[in-house]
Amino acid sequence: MKGAGDLWRFRGARAVAYAVLLYLYIPIIVLVILSFSAGDSSLARWEGFSTRWYGVIVEDGDMMRSVRNSLLVALVAMTVGTAIATMAALATARTRFRGQSAVEALIGLPLIVPDIVAAIAILLFFVMVGIELGVTSLMLAHSVFTIPLAYLPIRARLEGLDPALAEAAADLYANPWASFRRVVLPLIWPGIASGAMLAFIGSLGDVVISYFVSGPGATTLPVYVFSMVRVGVTPAVNAISTLLIAASVTPLVLSYLLGRRFR
Amino acid sequence: MRRIILALAASALPSLALAPPAAAQSKELHLFNWSNYMPPDLLKRFEAETGIKVTLDTYDTNESMLAKLQAGGGGYDVVVPTGPTVQQMIRDGLLLKVDAAHMPNFKNVRKPFDNPDFDPGRAYTVPYMWGTTGIAYDSAKVPGGKIEDSWKELFEPRKEFYGNIAMLKDMGEVFTAAAYYLGFDQCTSKPEEGQKILELLEKQKPAVKVYNAEGSADRMGNGEVAMHLMWNGAFHRAHKKLKTAVYIYPREGVNLWGDNLAVPKGAKNVENAKLFLNWMMDPKNAAEASNFTAYNNAIAGSDAYLDPSLREDPAVNTPDDMVSRFRPLRDCGKAALDLRQKVWTRLLR
Repeated sequence: MKGAGDLWRFRGARAVAYAVLLYLYIPIIVLVILSFSAGDSSLARWEGFSTRWYGVIVEDGDMMRSVRNSLLVALVAMTVGTAIATMAALATARTRFRGQSAVEALIGLPLIVPDIVAAIAILLFFVMVGIELGVTSLMLAHSVFTIPLAYLPIRARLEGLDPALAEAAADLYANPWASFRRVVLPLIWPGIASGAMLAFIGSLGDVVISYFVSGPGATTLPVYVFSMVRVGVTPAVNAISTLLIAASVTPLVLSYLLGRRFR
Repeated sequence: MRRIILALAASALPSLALAPPAAAQSKELHLFNWSNYMPPDLLKRFEAETGIKVTLDTYDTNESMLAKLQAGGGGYDVVVPTGPTVQQMIRDGLLLKVDAAHMPNFKNVRKPFDNPDFDPGRAYTVPYMWGTTGIAYDSAKVPGGKIEDSWKELFEPRKEFYGNIAMLKDMGEVFTAAAYYLGFDQCTSKPEEGQKILELLEKQKPAVKVYNAEGSADRMGNGEVAMHLMWNGAFHRAHKKLKTAVYIYPREGVNLWGDNLAVPKGAKNVENAKLFLNWMMDPKNAAEASNFTAYNNAIAGSDAYLDPSLREDPAVNTPDDMVSRFRPLRDCGKAALDLRQKVWTRLLR
């Protein structure tokens, strides 16, 4: 396999790479900078340094509640969705069975169906079955649509697994459960981890399904921010976003540094 | 022995019958509103005065709220629809009759908000904030600082404003403003009139810098445009940044829209909701909401508690001689809506 170094030999590859990175990250940097603006609006010019918006978000009970809801639902959806996705990947990777393509299509359905269609369908289902809307209904709905998000990386990782390893484990008197626990699981762990992260992010960022399926008191952060549009988006949104970015970047940086240290 | 047990069971039954109703009347209120449209301090004061805990959930447009309620999503006790949406909700049977006209504080409601077209006799709703849509312009850009108080200035702009105008990307607002200028009814469904409106808007299009309903206060306040079709509350915020901005009420007609508090069917805390609706008709509370949202309210006597900057702003506190220019927004029916959509899609192609 050719080394990655060969890519840089293409003219303009470096420039394009930097351009794409800038395009992706400059809005986020601007967002973080504007969270320290003393002005009244996220869209305005810089009006002087101030940390007052961080104070405002702590006081805003509704915003804090929506953050708590978002994080709680994302955590639950990540756990449940990844668990089910792992089982699904184990069952469908490296085998052929009748109806397999139908099963795979069904798993991937939430990714293909438009958000709004899925949202109304889930809401109608909950109403029909009599499930009361609230944080629990949110968790149910999110767990379902995060399954395909987590499934794809895990399935990919499984396909790349050397089948000889599982056979070797069986040769050494390991039953299927021990073989899974001691051999397969540690090997596919990076796939599960990235599936879990995708599930977490997918749940955290969802607007449409969260709006329709939530009950009183269950508003999530994206829905709360979205509904500010009519009256005006304040730098409080920038402040809470900066905090969320810090919260998600910190463990990543820490795990990278720890990984390096214990290599 | 059996008789004693039967007697005990018989005496227990009435208490079982009484228990459920007492449990159902919890001290909670679930509000469904736009975010930043109700001051948190006001809700805290309501909690302190009544002991009822309030939760606030949010939506971004009337249409989203309507879609959620129509699909059966609910559990909310109070929603905040705008006038035409109220009409539609009453038609669809989505609202509970609360008989606001007989609530103790109803006497505070100013005319004409006590008997609107969309809810005759205020059987279902209580007025909340109301606003107008007029023209905001930067007086520093015009020699003499004054322009004619007519929609002509927006649709056939003079050279100082040409290319520097922002229009709200709101089908209803743009269509009705053009209709007023041409002397048509806001609810017209006549194709010839629609055609004339389209021609006017298309002729204006090269003079317009941007069609956007969001961030209008910033756009005007930062000087990004010199003239804006604008909501008066947004103007008030823009004026804080740009002191030379002026708001005019065009004489051909100005849209008057009003948001209202209503109780949807399926609300669990109906009595608490009615209490809240009545409480919001108190002048002090209405004024606190106005001070927060920078829109006017419909309660007489609230002037005394209004922020001085709001009271002195003619865009928010409309002078009496301009009130006749108000045209309350009406729910125009399907044919009119279809015509509007045709004009709008052709315009923005």
